[in-house]
Amino acid sequence: MRAATRYTQEPVLSRVFVTGVGIVSSIGLGRDAFYRSLERGVSGISPVSLFDPSQLGRGVAGEVRGFDPGDHLTQAEQRRMGRCSAMAVAAARMALGDADLGTNELAGPRTAVVIGTTMGEAEILGGLQHNWIVHGLQSVRRSVIPRYGSTLLPIHVARAIGAQGMVLSLPGACAAGNYAIGFAADLIRAGRADVVVTGAAEVIQELQFSGFVRLAAMAPERCQPFDLNRQGLLLGEGAGILVLESEAHAARRSSRLIAEVGGYGLSCDAYHITRPHPDATGSIAAMRGAIARSGIATDDVDFVNAHGTGTRHNDAAEAKVVRDVFGDRRIPVSSMKSMIGHCMGAASAIEAVGCIFTIETGIYPPTVGYETPDPACDIDVVANESRSGPSDVVVNNSLAFGGYNAVALFAKPGVLPAPDARFAAAASTPLGASAGAGT
Amino acid sequence: MKALAITGFGAVSPVGIGGAGFFEAMTSGSCAKAPVVRPVSEAKAGEAVTDGDGSAAVAVRSPALAEVPNFDAAKYLGEKGLRTLDRLTKLLVVASRLALHDAKLKRDGAWVTTAGDRVGIVVSNAYGSLEAITELDRVATLEAARYINPARFPLTVANSAAGYASIWEDLRAMNVSVSDGNCGALDAVACADVFLEQQRADAIVVGGAEAISEALIGAYERLGALAEGAIIGEGAAMFVLEADSSARARGASVLGIISGYGTAFVPPEREAALVHPSAVALERAIRDAMTDANVTPDEVDVAVSGVSGLRAFDDAELSAIAQILGPDACVVAPKQALGETHGAGGAMGVLAALAYLTAGACPHVVRGRFRRDGRTALVTSMGYYGNASALVVRSGALAAPTAQI
Repeated sequence: MRAATRYTQEPVLSRVFVTGVGIVSSIGLGRDAFYRSLERGVSGISPVSLFDPSQLGRGVAGEVRGFDPGDHLTQAEQRRMGRCSAMAVAAARMALGDADLGTNELAGPRTAVVIGTTMGEAEILGGLQHNWIVHGLQSVRRSVIPRYGSTLLPIHVARAIGAQGMVLSLPGACAAGNYAIGFAADLIRAGRADVVVTGAAEVIQELQFSGFVRLAAMAPERCQPFDLNRQGLLLGEGAGILVLESEAHAARRSSRLIAEVGGYGLSCDAYHITRPHPDATGSIAAMRGAIARSGIATDDVDFVNAHGTGTRHNDAAEAKVVRDVFGDRRIPVSSMKSMIGHCMGAASAIEAVGCIFTIETGIYPPTVGYETPDPACDIDVVANESRSGPSDVVVNNSLAFGGYNAVALFAKPGVLPAPDARFAAAASTPLGASAGAGT
Repeated sequence: MKALAITGFGAVSPVGIGGAGFFEAMTSGSCAKAPVVRPVSEAKAGEAVTDGDGSAAVAVRSPALAEVPNFDAAKYLGEKGLRTLDRLTKLLVVASRLALHDAKLKRDGAWVTTAGDRVGIVVSNAYGSLEAITELDRVATLEAARYINPARFPLTVANSAAGYASIWEDLRAMNVSVSDGNCGALDAVACADVFLEQQRADAIVVGGAEAISEALIGAYERLGALAEGAIIGEGAAMFVLEADSSARARGASVLGIISGYGTAFVPPEREAALVHPSAVALERAIRDAMTDANVTPDEVDVAVSGVSGLRAFDDAELSAIAQILGPDACVVAPKQALGETHGAGGAMGVLAALAYLTAGACPHVVRGRFRRDGRTALVTSMGYYGNASALVVRSGALAAPTAQI
């Protein structure tokens, strides 16, 4: 048998650990800078410089202004890929450095790369389309065409780190990061990989920006999740990458265990393409599923990183979800989107790094710009200044476009029960998948 | 993987829509059953796609498209609610509906023995809705971005078609979009395998969808792929997967069994290269799929390849298959009839494999001799960037498990 070298292996019910994080964000490149900004509630929102938004009536976003691909990529890599992949590769390299993993340690089929995104190399496609529409097909550069495709994000990352196992993009809209991280953990639990480099990346592009404006979903200046006077979302961009390792792999190389990836819950509203279900049954099921699949109770959760987009419908629906899941308990809730905007596909991956920050430091990042409580969002918002508190278990919500609900859970190593106990629980009840499950 | 039962399917393809019609069209050798093919443009009108005669490698053809002919979603979905949907979404929703009914999970649009919260969907798509993106980009470029139609904007998001499939078909257990280029649909099966193993659903509608678009045609033309002989296809191929034990428990009829999956990525050695046909990656994927399924090369009756007319990729794929299965192994190319459907290609391959094995006939042979009594197929997909995946599919149900004493 060559079982140890190939994609497929018998399920081992392994614990899955985060052993490295990498981040490209509007409030910092790299873990240390990002952590400092989260603690201080720094805003990454600035006037849009990537294109001219003057005709759209909206003009600010969480652009990553300090990112120079040349600082992270070889010249050949820069020629091969667009800005989105460049951010993913840069964050992956940071994560590998953080995990103290060399590319030679990841070579081969037992390392997979699973990356989420909404649109992938949107700026490459935008350029191709512009040339085609304005100047005709012959002006479209042949060498650029193959650089488009959300497929390419994990391809570029895998090539950069030497991985030769599964390469997969999960275009799960604004929940893509949690989809990727959750599925990556499942791959390890199912024995199909030892290491998965996972997360998500997204860039701000003119078409998407315009679309959100036309949907009347974008705020003029500030993103104020859960505030009575919230006016919508702001867009952001960046990449968040985690190195996930099986317990055995981490033990073999004495990895530093930063956090354990618990269960995750998936569901689909199957209701409306842009609006959440008014009863929020799918979102509730996903959140309960994440907790139950981790083998713990809701009381064990210390902090919720909200999806918290700042739109009227989403925040009200999410507050209802939190109230339903946690009852009268006032669990602290915060939304990083108030600082970095809605990074679309990358949002929940960047915010997963924020969850790791909370687990490592015991600090809840603030929801900045929170001024007036909304009775429709009757939850304990970590308002304007970070707060210290218990941080053994953190839940990361993603309630996305298309009714895609994905909720991930992270915990301090050693806190969650053994995987076999969790599997037994999952086997006896339909968890996460069932609307209204968890009763 | 544990054996996964295919309990129903829906095909919306250039050779037909539905179940029996698709099987018949894929296995008939007569020219009358050849797909409806539209020339890329009148200026380039050329020879239509014809069936292979089993003796030669893939022939170079004139530029052509393999469209789903006369596709009318309203016939399957009714008139209401279709106005804002794009072609990709309609193809996917119709195929998903057909699959759910074929599997008898639904009857007359209603769930039979299960409910939507225990049924999910995993869909592969490579390029998203280029139709919608181009439409909005045209408005933004030629007029102004502030005039783009907000009702069409959601279609530009890559998971939009899958989201609509859930809405139309009440698929609530999970909704997962997968993108791995031409390998995506086989990878979607691997994803569904993990989700079923984790008991996140009782059944999952799996497959892929892709629509022909002006942008895709332009890209193919600019890259010279059409001149080389590739045919752009479109369609959606969806099938219902259940754990074999679950399918038995509900008395479902089993069309086929998926028992092994493998995937690999091997990048080009040259730093500047990006596009890369990797025979090595496919060899690894095939080996792993066969090991996973516990089958030997002798037990594989046919390799249902992704051979599409792009010579470098076809050569690498045929080489990898020969390396593992031997130089005389039977290799077939359903894309002769279906065209290159990218994200849907692997799922089309799975359905084609079932069609060939069930009928004991295949008109799309590019190498070796097709065995009429074959049971086991290897479905292969080559990505454009060094990625490759493979799947082992058997026709019919597994033998009933013997009682354990």
